[in-house]
Amino acid sequence: MITQEKYRTRVKELLASNSVKMVIGYKQGSTADRRRPLFVRSFEEADELVLDSNCIGNLAGYLVTEGLLSDEKRVGIFLRPEGIRSINILAAESQLNPEQIIIFGFDTSGREVKALQGEQAEDFSGLIDSLKEKPPEKSSDALLYRIDQMNTEERFAFWKDEFSRCIKCYACRQACPMCYCRRCIVDSNQPQWINTSSHTLGNFEWNIVRAFHLAGRCVGCGNCDRACPVNIPLRFINARMAQEVFESFDHYAGTSQTQEPVLASFNKDDSETFIL
Amino acid sequence: MSEPFEPKIIAFVCTYCTYAGADLAGTSRLKYAPNVRIVRLPCTGRISPMFLLKALQKGADGVLVSGCHPGDCHFTHGNYHARRRWMVFRSLLDFLGISPERVKFSWISAAEGGKFADLINSVTEDIRKLGPFDQYKELIRETETPATL
Repeated sequence: MITQEKYRTRVKELLASNSVKMVIGYKQGSTADRRRPLFVRSFEEADELVLDSNCIGNLAGYLVTEGLLSDEKRVGIFLRPEGIRSINILAAESQLNPEQIIIFGFDTSGREVKALQGEQAEDFSGLIDSLKEKPPEKSSDALLYRIDQMNTEERFAFWKDEFSRCIKCYACRQACPMCYCRRCIVDSNQPQWINTSSHTLGNFEWNIVRAFHLAGRCVGCGNCDRACPVNIPLRFINARMAQEVFESFDHYAGTSQTQEPVLASFNKDDSETFIL
Repeated sequence: MSEPFEPKIIAFVCTYCTYAGADLAGTSRLKYAPNVRIVRLPCTGRISPMFLLKALQKGADGVLVSGCHPGDCHFTHGNYHARRRWMVFRSLLDFLGISPERVKFSWISAAEGGKFADLINSVTEDIRKLGPFDQYKELIRETETPATL
């Protein structure tokens, strides 16, 4: 509550001094424990801002909305540490100018909300480095453990079953702050790489490609997983990719604004044990 | 008696090294398994994972990707980029249940005609042992059957 009030006041200050043209935050959603994005442009809207442990969505994706930042005015945004990493990746990939972004950082433990110190993406580098040092818990999830124990054929059957439910709504893509391509590969039809009809084959291909394009870029905010209307456990696939680039190339996505994208760079000593 | 299984393998090769190596195997009159269809590309860095998926989508039982040895790339570092990409892609396929045994990677230079012939033979044998990629072919068949109302 104290953090919420503190940030509301700060948002009003920034709006009053014309330092930001808009602040992207959260407001009450359709049920008591849901929050939806709020785009604050006035004092009245600032009073609707909510900040509590239910604010879990990563809002960073709204920043790459076409034309939002092209007038070079500043925009404020409420972000968790994953969201701040998203900003770093978007900046590294030249999708935005990080100086235009004023960050209202927060993190939660249980129902407790605490504010993070800093306003610019680079102010949080110490925090993000400490996250890198603390590797994510492996196989903490019972289902993930089960997948790891399967052989190749069982795994194929498991994912076939999961992907057969996919309705290709592309909500995973729309919800993802990293999926900003104006023309997605699945929308191109000359050549058509991915079968877009409602068959499991195309679903399989779509999910492979989506995960591959997020390899080394996903920050694990969980937007795709929550957006999926048929509950495909997409987080596991992304997490596996993040683990792979961390172990093979010591790459932790979004540590800085100048970090080279992992698949657009190389090291002459990269492992090649699998090459004949 | 049914005929023994002949795997269909698609090889994506770079034109400067492996394709020239394959050429050398040919001009040296080396015999190798006829199961491989070669697709020539400018560089291994040009090989998108989409190509490998497309090959499987069209019914391949295995895919081979081959290019210049590290340091020999005509474009100086295309194969270094490719190597990273494959590393990640292989682990993705493995996690989703597509056996990495079906997708092979190698370095073959223009002088290694013999290695090319040997590699094709051994890869063909490996895929023959794995058998046809039935699990994937089942998905392909599903797309070919007319929809029921």
